[in-house]
Amino acid sequence: MEGRPTDGDLFERAQRGDVAAYEEVVRRYQEVAFRTAYVITGSGADAEDAVQEGFVKAYRALATFRPGAEPRPWLLRIVANEARNRIRSAGRRQRLELRLAEGYRPGDAAPSPEAAAVAAEERRRLLQLVNGLSEEDRLVITSRYFLELSGEETAASLGIPEGTVKSRLSRALTRLRNRVEEAARG
Amino acid sequence: MAEETVLERQLLELARQVSWPATPDFSAKVASRLAAPVRVERPWFQQRWALAAAAVLAVVAALLAYNPTREAIADWINVHVLIQRVTTLPSPSPRASGAVGDRLALGRLTTLEEAQRSVKWKITAPSALGTPDLVYILEPPGGPPGTEVTLVYLSVPGVKTAGETGVAVLVTEARGQVDTQFFGKLIGAGTNIEPVTVDGHQGYWISGQPHIVYYRGSDGTLQQETLRLATNTLLLDVDGTLVRIEGNLTKDQALQIAGSLA
Repeated sequence: MEGRPTDGDLFERAQRGDVAAYEEVVRRYQEVAFRTAYVITGSGADAEDAVQEGFVKAYRALATFRPGAEPRPWLLRIVANEARNRIRSAGRRQRLELRLAEGYRPGDAAPSPEAAAVAAEERRRLLQLVNGLSEEDRLVITSRYFLELSGEETAASLGIPEGTVKSRLSRALTRLRNRVEEAARG
Repeated sequence: MAEETVLERQLLELARQVSWPATPDFSAKVASRLAAPVRVERPWFQQRWALAAAAVLAVVAALLAYNPTREAIADWINVHVLIQRVTTLPSPSPRASGAVGDRLALGRLTTLEEAQRSVKWKITAPSALGTPDLVYILEPPGGPPGTEVTLVYLSVPGVKTAGETGVAVLVTEARGQVDTQFFGKLIGAGTNIEPVTVDGHQGYWISGQPHIVYYRGSDGTLQQETLRLATNTLLLDVDGTLVRIEGNLTKDQALQIAGSLA
């Protein structure tokens, strides 16, 4: 029985001009690409344009993809570049306001209605604090924790060296922790 | 337990509750875009290359007989350059407007003296072109070890301004570790590569249809901003420094400029 083709197989086929293989690559990575572009642009419409253009450019640059390299950071770098170009050319960035999904229920506990309400309020407040961070802090925290990108992928999507991701993340977490503590003190 | 770890755990927990806009399916849209033919910018002057096709064919035939692999080319030139022959060229980034350095992603404007202080190798300026009009230094963030210095000659008597760069001649120099793939060049079917030697330095004369220049970061990925079209180019290994002379030049003009490197 033939298994699911690996990313490497798909890239190799796409490099030989197999558009169907590339379509599968797009399907595999479109969600993380779209959310990454959304975080950067703050707009669903801009993110959509950036992802489409990014995937087209990536296909045309496939000859330059190093065999054996990780495709995710490579693709995210191209899509994120497109997203940043869009902000630059439009001269504006919409302020991203992440929200909690409605009706979320943590699966591992059956708390009392009161405890559930308190936990939900805490989560809402933490997300509000993240939304209120500076652009730089918010981008690195959102990329690393909400998009769950690796250090290499975060570096690719933010267009910074991987070493900078660590220091930037550490500073952003410190500032967020300070705000959490301030908020707790009321 | 460190408080930061608790905060990190809370953030990861929060990640599962963040509401994201629904992801559209891009696969069909991307596939239909890819079905359209790739268009590479073709300045008017390229047409004269069609007239020269017979002469070009002789060179191509000789090259095909030689048929070096791209690795062989990179080894032979012994510096960080990778040449790839492809059947379809990727679309270059659109040429931005603004200053030369921004348009061609050459880095920061500097002076020849300051650039010389910033790099360990001796920058060799071609005396045939006189003093460069502009000097740029590119220190790529997270890029390979090494820096790129570009001398810009806005106008040179007897050399037409190149459509691809908007200037007469660009001389770019870089030095780095052997085997580091520093520059890449994508060569399409209409571009010719011919080995040359100048004052004992080995190199290549790349001519014909404009080719693609790109730049790789240290992680091997393409730096999209610098994917651009280049016109005729002489690549030369000058004692471990890659010198790239680019312009709307004849081979003789390029060799003459290279011969005046000092």
